[in-house]
Amino acid sequence: MALPKETERLVADPAPGITAEPHEDNLRYFDVTIKGPDGSPFQNGVFRLELFLPEEYPMAPPKVRFLTKIYHPNIDKLGRICLDILKDKWSPALQIRTVLLSVQALLSAPNPDDPLATDVAKHYKEDEKDAQRVSKEWTEKYASG
Amino acid sequence: MSDIFGIRQEGGSKPTGRRQLEEVFRPNKRRKLSLPSDFDFKSAFLGSIVVANAWSTVKGKGYVKNGDPILVEWDRLKQEDELPRKSDKKKPLQKKGKQLTITALMKPRQDNFKKKQNDIVRLTNRGGFEIARLPQNVANWVARLLETGIIEFRGSNVVDVPPDLKTGLDIVVSLSVYVLAQAFKPPNTRQEADCKEPIFHEGAETIEEQELRGRKQALLKLFDAVNLRPVRGSGVVGKKKDAELGYDEVLKMAEVSTQSPNLPPKPTSVRKEIVGDGEEVEVEPGEDLDENQLAMIYNRAQQHDKTMSEMDPAETFALTLRPYQKQGLMWMTSMENGDQNAREATAIHPLWQEFIFPSEPSEGIIDLTMSERSFYFNPYSGELSLEFPKAEIKCPGGILAKHVGMGKTIMIASLLHTNRFLPDLPSSSPPPSLKLNNQFLPDGPKEKSKPRQVRLQAAFKNHSNAKSTRLPSATLVVAPTSLLSQWAEELRRCSQEGTMEIHVWHGHNRFSLHEALYPDEVEDKRIQVVVTSYGVLASEHAKYEKSVRKSESSIFEIEWLRVVLDEAHHCKSRFSKTAKAVCALKARRRWAVTGTPIVNRLEDLYSLLKFLDFAPWSSYSFFRSFITLPFIAQDPKAIEIVQVILESILLRRQKNTKDHTGKPIVELPPKIVEVETLEFSVSERKLYDSIYLDVRKKFERLNEKGLVNKNYTSILAMLMRLRRAVLHPHLVMTQEELEELENSSTSASGTVKLEDLVKRESDGDTVSKTNTAFVEETLKSLNAGTGTQGEEGEGRDECPLCLDIMETPVLIPPCMHKCCKNCAVNFLETCQEQGNDGVCPVCSSGPVKEGDLLEIIIKRESDTREEEDTPKVVIRKNDFVSSTKIDALLRNLRRIRDQDPHFRAVVFSQFTTFLDIIQTALTRESLSYTRFDGTMDLKKRQAAIKTFKDSNGPDGRPRPMVLLISLKAGGVGLNLTNANYAFMMDCWWNAAVESQAIDRLHRVTQERTVYVKHFIIENTIEGRILQIQKRKTAIIKEAFKGKGKDGAGEKHDAESLENLKIMFGMDADEVLTIAPTQRTQRS
Repeated sequence: MALPKETERLVADPAPGITAEPHEDNLRYFDVTIKGPDGSPFQNGVFRLELFLPEEYPMAPPKVRFLTKIYHPNIDKLGRICLDILKDKWSPALQIRTVLLSVQALLSAPNPDDPLATDVAKHYKEDEKDAQRVSKEWTEKYASG
Repeated sequence: MSDIFGIRQEGGSKPTGRRQLEEVFRPNKRRKLSLPSDFDFKSAFLGSIVVANAWSTVKGKGYVKNGDPILVEWDRLKQEDELPRKSDKKKPLQKKGKQLTITALMKPRQDNFKKKQNDIVRLTNRGGFEIARLPQNVANWVARLLETGIIEFRGSNVVDVPPDLKTGLDIVVSLSVYVLAQAFKPPNTRQEADCKEPIFHEGAETIEEQELRGRKQALLKLFDAVNLRPVRGSGVVGKKKDAELGYDEVLKMAEVSTQSPNLPPKPTSVRKEIVGDGEEVEVEPGEDLDENQLAMIYNRAQQHDKTMSEMDPAETFALTLRPYQKQGLMWMTSMENGDQNAREATAIHPLWQEFIFPSEPSEGIIDLTMSERSFYFNPYSGELSLEFPKAEIKCPGGILAKHVGMGKTIMIASLLHTNRFLPDLPSSSPPPSLKLNNQFLPDGPKEKSKPRQVRLQAAFKNHSNAKSTRLPSATLVVAPTSLLSQWAEELRRCSQEGTMEIHVWHGHNRFSLHEALYPDEVEDKRIQVVVTSYGVLASEHAKYEKSVRKSESSIFEIEWLRVVLDEAHHCKSRFSKTAKAVCALKARRRWAVTGTPIVNRLEDLYSLLKFLDFAPWSSYSFFRSFITLPFIAQDPKAIEIVQVILESILLRRQKNTKDHTGKPIVELPPKIVEVETLEFSVSERKLYDSIYLDVRKKFERLNEKGLVNKNYTSILAMLMRLRRAVLHPHLVMTQEELEELENSSTSASGTVKLEDLVKRESDGDTVSKTNTAFVEETLKSLNAGTGTQGEEGEGRDECPLCLDIMETPVLIPPCMHKCCKNCAVNFLETCQEQGNDGVCPVCSSGPVKEGDLLEIIIKRESDTREEEDTPKVVIRKNDFVSSTKIDALLRNLRRIRDQDPHFRAVVFSQFTTFLDIIQTALTRESLSYTRFDGTMDLKKRQAAIKTFKDSNGPDGRPRPMVLLISLKAGGVGLNLTNANYAFMMDCWWNAAVESQAIDRLHRVTQERTVYVKHFIIENTIEGRILQIQKRKTAIIKEAFKGKGKDGAGEKHDAESLENLKIMFGMDADEVLTIAPTQRTQRS
């Protein structure tokens, strides 16, 4: 099983701006934080996420969800993330680290054409500047702790 | 005297008319066993009895006080014709007593009457005045002993007496018992003095015997009362046991032994007539020995071994013996030459016990037994003796009981070399005489004379035959077929060139023995050995029995100097043809070599004793009445007797036997046994579960109908199917399925050329340009012999999926991503389950099938040294269907190969079909192997073993090599000490079989640690087999045989049903609900 080894590496050598800590009582459950990428409306925000590795991992993708409220077209109110590698494009060669890096990248590059939060996506499409302003506001409001 | 009358009248608490009569004669009959003035010098103190409840016969004060000496008096029975006797101490009234016994026995109902008359033992004070009597339970045996005149009381005194006596009050007295010389004389005065043993007539128990038995029981009670314990002989097991062994048990035994040998003994019934017909009876249940009993038996046989002296073998013997082997040689030689001194000849006659005279505590009385002196008692006959009753059994030969791997062959070889000739005796020397008493053997003489007659005839024949006047000089070795060549080889190895001539007499190779052994007039100095098998012997015997004219060359006509039975437990059933054939051999010396002289019942030993002609135990009725029957009656004596027998004829050495310095005689390297529990792959689990459910349903159906017993065969077949399913999916496929598979599969080794691959990939249009570059890169780096991202693990890659070093890397075409095989296969299976095509787990390109995967085999340096130009990396198609167990085996072998490039491993399985698959797997792994199974003939087997032992690589060192061996063919005898890794691919019902197999490696001459690995798959029938193994190893064999013999059937049925339920994984509740129906069905 890859789990212990992967966790070990994740903790020992974290990706910049990302932390992931397994729960003591459940090694499949991780507390994750992702720093908002510089140059994005999420800059300076620290977003909390939860990550859970299902039994079948790495044959099946991990389940990842934002806990911090975020104004992003590919992330809905419940924190669910629309990202292909977390669904049909999953490959067992991907790891927690790569998954989280992808999530971080998603913050830099919202994709309103494949939306999950339709209203946010609409906002982004119609007035990107204003939408980014709201995102920034939310970041300051919810993710600055 | 008149006072006595008066007082007795007064205190007459036991009023009978008879008493008065008795009293009339009393003065005449009273015997004073008082302080002897003229006491016989041949008496000895036996001990003191404290009787707490001697009952007072007087009333008043002053008769006696504490510490006063008292005398013991006993009234002989009233006899009309008896003359008054006074002071007749030395000559007890044997005759009178006897007459009493006659009358008493003629009318057994008058026992009570007799006792009242006979069993009054009075205690008198210094003035000869009766003050008390012994209580009935003491008096009856004291009287018996006084009657036979073998004891007397001296220096007895009162311990505690109430100051004011009343009739019937308890007085505590201490009585000192002395045994008289008379006791050691033959008990039956009517017999001639030199006839020590009473003769048992066939038929009814004689009066003498009755009387003797009375005496014997009384003695037993006496010994118990004075707390005298045997220090040696039957009845002595160990200190602890000793203390527990009450006289009750001894008494019971003594009773049992006089019973009819063909009636199951009832320990409670005391009087049983001897029927004298030692007819053989079928094996009783309850005869099985448990482990502790076996251990006890053997323990005894080994107790003197540590101090045995050593003997050097003859010069013609080519090897060096270990000290314990030299001891063994000494022992064997002495056994053959009839010299018992090798092992301290302390074996006491099996029916006797040794006692030490206790030292006398009180002063003033002469103690004649200053130094420790022994006397001997036969608890069966009641005889006493001052002389050591030695078990004088001469048996030119014996049993060599050794654990596998202790060098039995070598020891026998050293014996052949060292003790070559018969001692120069007149050839008419009589067979060794048997000095054992056989009085308890009703038909002993008849039984024993038979074999002797045959032998004498043979001797006579030989004399009339000019050719055979030569003394027998050849040795015949009988061994299981699979071991014949090993015997021949080992014997040759042990002998200096040209000193030994070995003939393997087997198969078509059955030359005329007579010509081979007695070539005309040529004095052959060489040691002649003929090696043959039990099978040949049995068939020859059948022929021999039928033939009218006995050929002088028949193996049964030749008189052998020595016959050696290897794995002698092969003839354990005395009814078997083999056993009969073996016993028909003529030999001067006989040896039985076996690791297990007693397999699981005492009677196993009988066949060996019979073969050894170890009288009197070689007579079945004797054996039966003294060993089998008491054992069934759960009498510890049976085992003790066996101990004594074995002590005199058996040399047992185990690996853990210690020498006199406390070091193990053989220091075998350690053996490390490991169980590797494995998990099925998903598809294997599916397959297994479906078979399991199917089989279980069938079993439940049968069980509901109560038909389990009738369908053993089909149930066993079902179980077999399950056990195969655990090993490999192909083992449970039908023929058609297999054929289909075969058609689709490709080349045997499945190797693919690297260049072809590169070419194909660059030609192909399925992959994009960038990818092609990657593929080329990968393949090139492969060819260079190292991994691509060789950061860690010394050039071996890490699997991108499990992040472990890849044990078995595979390439995934067409993108040529690499990952370990397990991960790839798992992922492909997951894809399939979700209904998708398999894709590459790394880049999701596809479709990919399991069979498309390309395994990368990196060759070891040692493999390639010889052929420089072969690529270091081989890629082959993954078209071989492996299984969890095979993968585990390969994984282990690879690991071993890494550590030890010259390793030798042995793989055991009971399924040859599974061996076939393993064989293929090994081929693909380019591991060399050789194979040994039951389908191969002797030559092929020999060749296989030779290859396994000898084949060397180019550097002259052994190549790594695996021996695939089927349990049934290779379980016994083989010597595979050049290997030190064993893999048990499946488990057996019987754990003993497994350990036998392991002992092929773990035996003398093994120098390295032996690693044993069992592969067990979780949650399968294998776990349950282990459960049953633990549950009852002993009965397993029987349990799955189905119905046993009539007697044992019931028990075994229940047992095997239980076992079957375990096999089918029914839990306790289910068993409970099913069991009652089962019962009713059967009745």
